[in-house]
Amino acid sequence: MTKSMLSAGRLVFVFLLTSLALVAYAEPNCNIYKMENNMPCYEACVLATTGGGEQGSRKSQEKFDKAIEQCPALDYAYMEKSVPYLKRGDFVTWKKLIDKAVELNPTLHLGYRGWCRYQFLRDYKGAIKDFERLDTLFPHDIGYSQNGDYQLTIVKALCYSAIGEKGKAIEIMETQLGKKGYSPMVYDYLHLGVLKMETGDLNGGIDFLTKSIALNDYLAEPYYYLGLIYKSKNLKAEYKTAMEKAKAYYLKGYKRFDPYTHPMHKVYLSDIDRELSIAQTF
Amino acid sequence: MIRKICCLFLLLVVYSSCQKSKAQKSVYPNHVGDTAFDEKIDDPNFKVCTTGRIPQYYEFGKSLQFKGEKPAIDKHFEILKQNESTAESGYITIRFIVNCEGKTGRYRIEEMSNDYQPMSFDKNLVEKILTLTKELSGWIVGGNPEQPVDYYQYLTFKIEGGKLIEIMP
Repeated sequence: MTKSMLSAGRLVFVFLLTSLALVAYAEPNCNIYKMENNMPCYEACVLATTGGGEQGSRKSQEKFDKAIEQCPALDYAYMEKSVPYLKRGDFVTWKKLIDKAVELNPTLHLGYRGWCRYQFLRDYKGAIKDFERLDTLFPHDIGYSQNGDYQLTIVKALCYSAIGEKGKAIEIMETQLGKKGYSPMVYDYLHLGVLKMETGDLNGGIDFLTKSIALNDYLAEPYYYLGLIYKSKNLKAEYKTAMEKAKAYYLKGYKRFDPYTHPMHKVYLSDIDRELSIAQTF
Repeated sequence: MIRKICCLFLLLVVYSSCQKSKAQKSVYPNHVGDTAFDEKIDDPNFKVCTTGRIPQYYEFGKSLQFKGEKPAIDKHFEILKQNESTAESGYITIRFIVNCEGKTGRYRIEEMSNDYQPMSFDKNLVEKILTLTKELSGWIVGGNPEQPVDYYQYLTFKIEGGKLIEIMP
């Protein structure tokens, strides 16, 4: 297989994953209500999906209220109404609304709520509860994160690692990665490599961080963590080279990024610079 | 003729006041999270440069913009990790505006328990967090250098047993 075929295949793969994530959170098909002859909900659904108004604007929030008034079971309207509160730090209001969406349609919104608890609030225990409930509903695949970066079982593992259960986190990740038909997402190997490192399996860390680079060589992070492992192994030249590469990548903009929050295992320029100054006198 | 013009003017005034009262009746501000100036708590010297809608920090596609990035913020609040242990756990969110000069103002506080219910933390802790937040200097101006704009930012502090655990976003 040629290199261009491989890269085309990778692009198709990424497109499919992104599409899956989009499908999971797409707007509802209002015609279902029409087919059920439920005209109040059909009209409410059309209003909620096409009624206009910028996200978080008065017009938009009032539109969802009208839709909910007309069809109290319209989970989509509760979910969409909740989003601006989440993004703007009003988590009390967000939770009330997203809970209602989950109550009305757990299969569709549990994964999203769990992801938001992890991403915006570092509510690891709360997120685990949502993901484990989802496991009982969809034992084979609990779906993907809203931003399309993760399969949610991997996020569940990250939550376990954050509450100190790193062994369990590794086990969950390895099981997921070993599942037939599962293709690793872009940050899976990075996280597993870091977890291996943190639990003292330095060679395992090198293996997975190297795999991360092979999958996606547009990140400073795997080089940074590789550098830390080389430092622990007293491999001075490799330590320095890895940190230099991490810095070069960081300055090129090759780094973990999320417009809303700080992703787990993200590194910063000050982290890299600190290691580089240690490497000079190592 | 003058009578007709006067009637028309009166009708316009009535219509306009009806429109205003209709807008006032809404339970929503123009945009979720909008913070109007409150003379009782806000610094009158803090000015916003934007006349229309003030965007949110994430709308620039750059995440949180602070000199020294998140580690600089973490370092600034490090002292709160050494707090005395208490039974209080949950989240304290401080929302504010970063204006077109990189100055901050219109602070608002939300306190929430771990089960997402409103709660009240120890006043000293909240005051300490607010003071430290006000002391942060290093916010990067929104927009571009030719057209700097104000924006809304928030910081959420995850507290466990009275100690700071993490800062978000």
